[in-house]
Amino acid sequence: MSDALSEDGSDINQDDSREEDVMTPVELIAKLEEAWLNEKFSPELLENKSEVVECVMEQLTHMEANLQRVKKGDAKASIHRMEIDRIRFVLSSYLRSRLQKIEKFFPHVLEKEKSRREGDTSLLSPEEFAFAKEYYTNTESYLKAVALKRMPPNLQTVDMLKAVPEPCLDSFVFLRVKERQENILVEPETDDQREYVVDLDEDSQHLMRYRTIAPFVSSGAVQLI
Amino acid sequence: MDTQSYLPVQPGVGMEENFLSLDDILLSHERLPARTECTFPRLGFLEKTTDSQDITEGTKMELPLWLSKGLYERKRRVLSVELPKVYREGWRTIFKADPNVVDLHKMGPYYYGLGSQMLHFDSPENPEIAQTLLQTFIGRFRRIMDSSQNAYNEDTSVLVEHLDCLEKTLFRSGQSGLNSFQSWEKGQASQLTASSLVLNYRKRKMTDIQP
Amino acid sequence: MDPSEVEFLAEKEIVKIIPNFSLDKIYLIGGDLGPFNPGLQVDVPVWLALNLKQRQKCRIVPPEWMDVDKLEEMRDLERREDAFTPVPSPYYMELTKLLLNYASDNIPKADEIRTLVKDIWDTRIAKLRLSADSFISQMEAHAKLDNLTLMEINTIRSFLLDSLNCMYKLRSNLQPGSSKGQLTDY
Repeated sequence: MSDALSEDGSDINQDDSREEDVMTPVELIAKLEEAWLNEKFSPELLENKSEVVECVMEQLTHMEANLQRVKKGDAKASIHRMEIDRIRFVLSSYLRSRLQKIEKFFPHVLEKEKSRREGDTSLLSPEEFAFAKEYYTNTESYLKAVALKRMPPNLQTVDMLKAVPEPCLDSFVFLRVKERQENILVEPETDDQREYVVDLDEDSQHLMRYRTIAPFVSSGAVQLI
Repeated sequence: MDTQSYLPVQPGVGMEENFLSLDDILLSHERLPARTECTFPRLGFLEKTTDSQDITEGTKMELPLWLSKGLYERKRRVLSVELPKVYREGWRTIFKADPNVVDLHKMGPYYYGLGSQMLHFDSPENPEIAQTLLQTFIGRFRRIMDSSQNAYNEDTSVLVEHLDCLEKTLFRSGQSGLNSFQSWEKGQASQLTASSLVLNYRKRKMTDIQP
Repeated sequence: MDPSEVEFLAEKEIVKIIPNFSLDKIYLIGGDLGPFNPGLQVDVPVWLALNLKQRQKCRIVPPEWMDVDKLEEMRDLERREDAFTPVPSPYYMELTKLLLNYASDNIPKADEIRTLVKDIWDTRIAKLRLSADSFISQMEAHAKLDNLTLMEINTIRSFLLDSLNCMYKLRSNLQPGSSKGQLTDY
């Protein structure tokens, strides 16, 4: 067995403990999977986790570089490769589900970005922002080319914000509670029901409106499932 | 996989319509019985039944939903729109008695969509219409769920032929949940298959070659 | 979510294997594994266990609950109770399928286990549909779904959520005063 690999593992751990924000690789992968599922199931685009994405990428490149030095047919190397493939799958599925939402809600995503105050973190990573802008321009010029330019001059524009449906925050979601939350107000569905409060116990699972628990998704207190 | 390269825009369902939804575009072409409440000067050529130059006040005609909505105004009465009979009281009573017996495809096929759109036109019956739409949906839910979650690998055309367009979409989403689970359970998910895009591409190429 | 993605998550669960080779500790990004010694039990994630098994490098020790007596008890309880009973593993269905498909020679009475788990699954899915129907017809705003597994939720997810969405839109029709629904110019 090559010793190169056993040393690499400890290398990575040391790298991390030097950083201010101490997150072990194990926690990092957990964070990525959490973000992946949340993004898959939330009706709106969530805040980007580019920090997590970058750290995971770093880990992957680092590990891959080490694997380059290992002899062919090494038993450990094949296990490492399998793990890398699994992490890469989660990572790309996460990024892809974000791109899909950007395509679905592009005018609203860009509008939110425009009204963002200085200092607030952006919903989009720089790459995603570029993608959203390009998608907007492409859609606009496509509509222009196939139809709008043949319309009377006063009908040649389409208000994208109105034409593209907004994310529906009243959608229901399934969730599991990670940190107990008390007194969550559940709004009534019909006029003859009354509003009531529920406590969300740790590890309990619920079906309720996304709007009610959206803040807990971003704080990490609940996990969408 | 449930990921698609093209995500069609969903219909608006309620009172709002989605501009880029094909279903909503088709819905907006549904014809409504209407009556003109003023003269439409020099538009007589549109109305084939008379030779007059204008469309006179009180003319009855069928207009598509999009045009009726455009011409309708609450303050100035240009047009009055009649309720299609499936939303009138007689039918509402039937829906109340047993929503499952009605063939919503024949009566629709945009029963919920058009019904919601009818609420744009002021009518004292609006609250009852809205209530009937909701109760009908709830009343028919169980049957749609059961049929979509049980019919595996069989011809579903009988199951969907009485469904409204919205219900059909739901039926399909229930079916895709069932089918993807079944094919996972049978281990078909782990077999690689060519993407339908590639298959179609090949077909197209073949026809291109043929003279 | 595709069922294969749920299975992917299940593959992270830990099982015991008895390797027939020796290997030092492996430092994976997601945690350390090993060391591996022939004949000595060691904990590994399912994805690795299945891979080693396929290469005939180990024997898989079935999880404790994967046992005919225990599963029969669970099936009976599941049939008796109206509510969802606690499951032996949040991925019981996926693990059964994976382990029985790739390591049935390591699991005693594999066929009986397959049938029992399927019975439990069917009972639970029937309950799930019953609760979905009452959730819709009562127009509930909140449901507690403890003990429901991801794979179970997944079979009904898009259907139930789409239906709830439609119902929400039809219900907002009842409030004509809402700003929505005005004629819109694009």
